[in-house]
Amino acid sequence: MAELEPNGALPDLPAAERRALARQRLVGRLLAPVWVPLAAAVLRFGAGWRIEGARETRERYRRLRAESAAPLLVCANHLTLVDSFLVASALGSPAFFVRRYDSLPWNVPEAANFAATWWSRALVYLMKCVLVRRGGERREAALVLSRLAHLMRAGDVALVFPEGGRSRSGRVELDAAAYGVGRLVKALPGCLALCVYLRGTGQETWSDLPRRGERFRVELSLYEPKSDAAGLRGSREIARGILARLAEMEARVLARE
Amino acid sequence: MSESELLEKVIQILTPYAKNQAALASVGPETSILDDLKVNSARLVDVVLAFEDEFDIQIADEDVDAVETVADCVSLIQQKLAA
Repeated sequence: MAELEPNGALPDLPAAERRALARQRLVGRLLAPVWVPLAAAVLRFGAGWRIEGARETRERYRRLRAESAAPLLVCANHLTLVDSFLVASALGSPAFFVRRYDSLPWNVPEAANFAATWWSRALVYLMKCVLVRRGGERREAALVLSRLAHLMRAGDVALVFPEGGRSRSGRVELDAAAYGVGRLVKALPGCLALCVYLRGTGQETWSDLPRRGERFRVELSLYEPKSDAAGLRGSREIARGILARLAEMEARVLARE
Repeated sequence: MSESELLEKVIQILTPYAKNQAALASVGPETSILDDLKVNSARLVDVVLAFEDEFDIQIADEDVDAVETVADCVSLIQQKLAA
């Protein structure tokens, strides 16, 4: 029987799965000096996207990573298909991520959107992604959480969208709380949530891509999500707490416009 | 509570969460909650919490991983009531 890693309320991750993740991480890391700057260049010069105040948010993230060894889960609002790239871009420069590869967040893209062809599968493999299938079996979704927990326990950062998908209203949807976020937090004692609210100045509602030349406003907020409730109720409370914080951040960002 | 009463109660709890209301007309033990009734995964958690309240039981996160069909709900509740 394969050796298993204890994983709280999440399914145990077999040794073969852990080795596969280690291999994926190693390949991505070895090629990071090529793909990380290239991805950043596509965002900046290809699409003309720019994060306002990126210097400050990057410095804040750099300090956070230097000062805390707690598992870190980046929780962001979700409006476009490229949000994970934009959030990463707001948190660090390409040079920082090449140096501190552990700080470049793992993403959980939807297989149907990001793994339809062999080359897109190769790209997501390289770019620290753990694919998830929306509407797939619940055991499969739980295994994705186990993979993230394993990676975070080893010191890497993960990025999730607590709304589960792009907000159809264009605003943080408190009722959409994907409870898996709470389950992941509960499996990692001391886990910190770094809430990131990011929105293009011309982004009225959800879309596939932001408009060309878009400028983004970003706000960060760090906290330790907790719940006294047990089981599912606790998971839901944690997920809702994270979303409530994102909604507060949204109100502040929109008030600045 | 008999199994058929339990099944009826489970369907009653599921009803407001089903996006595909038409599928409720032919709902049975083998009906898939996510695929047939189109209850999304966030709402499935609300459904399971409603089971907790209705039957005064506690359901762990990992128990929900095994829930795919209406029959799975019935058997999970029976298991918890018997524990």
